[in-house]
Amino acid sequence: MSNNLLEVKNLKKSFGGIQAVNINELKFNKHQLTSIIGPNGAGKTTFFDLISGFQTSDSGEIFLNDINITNSHPYKIARMGMIRTFQLTKVFDRMTVLENLMFSGSSVSNDSLVKSIIKTKRQRNYENDLKDKSFEVMEELNISHMANAYARELSGGQKKLLELARSIINNPDTLLLDEPLAGVNPKLAEDLLGLIQKLASNGISILMVEHNIEAVMKISERIVVLSEGSLIADGSPGEIRNDKNVIEAYLGKSND
Amino acid sequence: MVFLFNPEGALRILINILTFAGIYGLSAIGLNVHFGWTGLLNFGHASFMGMGAYVTLLLMPHAAGREGEITTTGLPIIVAAFFGIAAAALFGLLLGLPAIRLRGDYLAIVTIAAAEIFRLVVRDLESITGGVYGIISYTENLQKFRPEFINNLSLNYEFAPAQAWVGMIAWISIFLTLLLLKRLNNSPWGRALRAVREDEDAVRAMGKNAVWLKLQSFMLGAGIAGLSGALLAFNYGSLETTVFVPLLTFYVWAIMILGGVGSITGPIFGSIIFWVIISETDRLAYIFFENANGQQLAGVRFLLVGLLIMLLMIFRPSGLLGKKEELLLDVK
Amino acid sequence: MLDQLGNGLLLGIIISVASVALSLLYGVTRIVNFAHGEIIALGAIATLFLSSPIDYRFLFLDRFTPLGLNFVISCLLAVLICGLFGGLLELLLFRPLRKANVGNIAVLVVTIGLSIFIRHLYLLFATGRVQNFPLELQRRQTYLFFDMTPRNLKVLIIGIFVMVLIGLLLTYTKLGKAMRAVRDSEELSSVSGINSDNIILITWISSSMLAGLAGVFQAIINDVRWNMGFLILLLIFAGTVLGGIGTSFGAMVGGFIIGILVQVSVGLPFMEGHTEAKNAVALGIMIVILLFRPQGIFGKKERIS
Repeated sequence: MSNNLLEVKNLKKSFGGIQAVNINELKFNKHQLTSIIGPNGAGKTTFFDLISGFQTSDSGEIFLNDINITNSHPYKIARMGMIRTFQLTKVFDRMTVLENLMFSGSSVSNDSLVKSIIKTKRQRNYENDLKDKSFEVMEELNISHMANAYARELSGGQKKLLELARSIINNPDTLLLDEPLAGVNPKLAEDLLGLIQKLASNGISILMVEHNIEAVMKISERIVVLSEGSLIADGSPGEIRNDKNVIEAYLGKSND
Repeated sequence: MVFLFNPEGALRILINILTFAGIYGLSAIGLNVHFGWTGLLNFGHASFMGMGAYVTLLLMPHAAGREGEITTTGLPIIVAAFFGIAAAALFGLLLGLPAIRLRGDYLAIVTIAAAEIFRLVVRDLESITGGVYGIISYTENLQKFRPEFINNLSLNYEFAPAQAWVGMIAWISIFLTLLLLKRLNNSPWGRALRAVREDEDAVRAMGKNAVWLKLQSFMLGAGIAGLSGALLAFNYGSLETTVFVPLLTFYVWAIMILGGVGSITGPIFGSIIFWVIISETDRLAYIFFENANGQQLAGVRFLLVGLLIMLLMIFRPSGLLGKKEELLLDVK
Repeated sequence: MLDQLGNGLLLGIIISVASVALSLLYGVTRIVNFAHGEIIALGAIATLFLSSPIDYRFLFLDRFTPLGLNFVISCLLAVLICGLFGGLLELLLFRPLRKANVGNIAVLVVTIGLSIFIRHLYLLFATGRVQNFPLELQRRQTYLFFDMTPRNLKVLIIGIFVMVLIGLLLTYTKLGKAMRAVRDSEELSSVSGINSDNIILITWISSSMLAGLAGVFQAIINDVRWNMGFLILLLIFAGTVLGGIGTSFGAMVGGFIIGILVQVSVGLPFMEGHTEAKNAVALGIMIVILLFRPQGIFGKKERIS
């Protein structure tokens, strides 16, 4: 088994003449917590969209576990064990927290129309187990007290927690976290960071886009810096801190 | 209410309203699966009803076209109705396969256009569907199974036994359909459908095939509409393409919104309220617009349907009976 | 064939003008306006009401007396009335909805309700019968490669002139640029000092005036019916979609293509005896376009799913 988690080659994507992503070669290793940083408009989220299948690339190739997943459907990529979250949290608003989790944890065959009409004993048992599993995850993230609240009643930070809970219920190999700390109060951010670290130490490979540089420096094992769609630096937090290109890219965009 | 003031034909009118309410309610239940459960903006519902009606009728003994050529052979009604429902569902699949990926407003345009194409083609295929001359002589297929007690009752109370029988079947169909939907709503499949309605991207990100879920929903709702279309044909006694104009779709939309989008039993209450209003309007229209002609008088009810759709969407998008948490109507 | 080409051009100009109007409104407000057809009908009905001689007694349940104005003035007034109507719709209905953050889909359903409502108002208070403008009869003549009456030729030329004018206005004036800014982002444009409410109001008024003009054309070329707007609405959608939703130039060309296609398809051999299905051809093309090239022939790529 190779240690390659994700590999992209000559990946290009542009919008109306603006090169959003242009990466020659980039590899991510398994069981590592890697952060992707860069000024606004650096193409981080587009990069996530490309590797998770939510956008199609103009050219280039993407490999997950050495399997070519270029322009594959998002759900197929997710089924390969790589689950993503969204910059603007996407929860199922008019469903309860428990339902949110149970839907996410439910297997595709359990969702089948025919089985749902017949309602076999097996499906009922599966659902019961699923409910237990959902509560376990909620306990772990400290949100079990709101199991029956509608998701849209949650605060921004709680929605982030719910999204994370949803992502980990099926024990993914890989997590793509798109700004997990954005709009979260400092206390909760601290908890979330701890959680992410714990997930990483459990062996989940994590790619994270995050603006909170301090947090990134604290927990990342490796940092990749994008600017204007291209890779400008790649290394350990210590190396990135002193990288000339990075400082330039950030100072150039003083608003960041 | 007209049937309270006018005891003479009260029962006849009541049964008329309940029959229409049953048939349209059933159709609205199907539409609700599309829109309320899954968030699919289907404006071609009339074509699913039409598909169900035509396939069911044409498979049974009937007479079609200008000459009224009689076909005496055919399937028993249960089998024909089964194929009718299946044809409607299949039509849903055929239309949905390419169209279901489209964003809401585009899907609305595609479905309404497809329904018009369906109607125009059916109208043009005179050799099969009877074209503008329609289909007749098919009601016996159903009416020969009419239970004796309806006939006996109609001797003592003044009402049309044939319509009462159609109405009864419509309400039995509603009951069975609701049982099925109730079961589905509390199932993993129903949960997945609601998730699709809430956020398709998140559904995909969880490894679920949102397109397939939407297609299944499209087929289920279309099948239900197909059954209601067949019942509508039996209620009218003759079938013409003009029945399946876009206005029919809008009627069903009004009923669905009235009863509460997403609510399981909402459409039946919506439908009863709707048809009581409609029959009241017809009565009042005669009083208010004494020198209007028949076409204009019939227009008054449509006037009201339009107003109803508009006002409900603005002031009570969750319907008269819907609960607020679940039913805020705002699909992306 | 000359006949059909002439008819095609005439149907084309009606759909074209109406498609530009629809496209303009969609481009700025993102509203798919199902009541668009009713504004078209208003243009025709208002002209009929204004221009019919006093003793023309079949309108309005015989309660109102038509005015008997000069025909050209009637047409212009009718277009203004449509503009006024569109402005009122925005002020009384769509602006409040926008301020209340009602979603696009809900607004779409509202326009459907509105369309049904207005259409049957016409039926009840205007006319249930097919009417014609009180104009003299003319003979068809052959021009270049098509046949039409001199009056219809005038309509065609005026229509093309108006559309070119609109196109130039949208491209080169400050107003046109402001409209595009509002389309791209309402929030951003208000930051940059554009009053987006005013722009949207102007859009509604101009779109409705254009729709009214299409109605006047439709009535001159064919006739006035209470449901004329809805009969042609889907063809307008087809024209708009074909050219690319939100692009005026595309709508112009798309409208013509649809119009000609519908009329010429009547003459095709396999369509013999199936004249009713001619609209089905246009709608079928629209569906195919939406599925495979949703941005239309001239539109820019946009996320549509």
